[in-house]
Amino acid sequence: MSMKKARRQSAEAGLNITSMMDMMTIILVFLLKSYSTSDVSVAPSDNLQLPTSTSQKAPELAVNLVVAKDQIVVDGVPVLDLTKVPDEENPGQQLIVVPEDEKRGQVITKLYDRLLEKAEAAKTLAEQSGSDEHAFKGRVLIQCDRELPFNVLREVMYTAGQAQFGEFKFVVYKQG
Amino acid sequence: MSRRRELPEAEELNLVPVMNLVTILIPFLLMAAEFVSLAVIDSTLPAIGPPQPVEEEPEKPPLNLSLALTEKGITVLGADAVLNPEGAAPVAEGEERPPTVPCKSGGSCQGVDDYDWPELTRILGMIKDEYPDDENVILVPGSRTQYEIVVKAMDSSREDADNPVNGSPRTLFPFVVIAGGAVN
Repeated sequence: MSMKKARRQSAEAGLNITSMMDMMTIILVFLLKSYSTSDVSVAPSDNLQLPTSTSQKAPELAVNLVVAKDQIVVDGVPVLDLTKVPDEENPGQQLIVVPEDEKRGQVITKLYDRLLEKAEAAKTLAEQSGSDEHAFKGRVLIQCDRELPFNVLREVMYTAGQAQFGEFKFVVYKQG
Repeated sequence: MSRRRELPEAEELNLVPVMNLVTILIPFLLMAAEFVSLAVIDSTLPAIGPPQPVEEEPEKPPLNLSLALTEKGITVLGADAVLNPEGAAPVAEGEERPPTVPCKSGGSCQGVDDYDWPELTRILGMIKDEYPDDENVILVPGSRTQYEIVVKAMDSSREDADNPVNGSPRTLFPFVVIAGGAVN
């Protein structure tokens, strides 16, 4: 009698999860399709909107230099903040610039120091590994906001060049 | 009827372990999922150091193709032999030379789409016809040129999708050097 009752109860509580399985299977297929093991990751935000491009070249691992609208970040560590000043040539508009006291000539000092550290670290690593594969090539991945004026980018590129990074790879969204 | 009753009652498949597995897989895959695909554009700094010795005298003078990106449009420099074979048109005193590729709206360009990119690609295609071996282009953006415009200029000068050669877009000038020489 008691056993009969238990069986009836379990039949009432039995959840039909077949439809949920269907859903999960579809989600699984979709996620597997978008699975990637790319070395480069971007964290899009309001201040970092990459431009789109027709380029088809795949990104590779390198020092990651992010120039957002409000700050410069190297390998995930913020280096310095950018400021906005009134634009002299276009009254009423603002221009994003590197603060004057952060610069020595065209070189952005903090960024230069950080990049030089990265270059030295990469060179030490290359020496210790001894293989050509890890040789320091001065590659830097530049993620830059699409609305950033060129004056900031020019100083960033100049600074990177001074810090022995001469091969720029501009990260963009692939079109389509 | 009697035969059917003989068969054992169909046991419902226990899907709970599968559910467990899938539930664990989903967060993992979600983490590794990539919803935007990235690409890179190569560029180098202009070489610093002693100039490389020229091995032999080139038949044609080398093409020093430059694109100046200004607020009024794009000026193609260094290819006058192709663009203006009879010499540049005279410009009235005190006036600036108009850009090679002016903005669609005339005057100052309003945003990226106002630049006439197909026209730029067409002109570069003409230059490529004359200099098939040249692959370098120098970009000279102004201080206020938005980065998106620089990228778009690199795209327009890299290849010509409208005139495919053997099914793939025609390669124009894939090696881009960005010069920081613009004064304004």
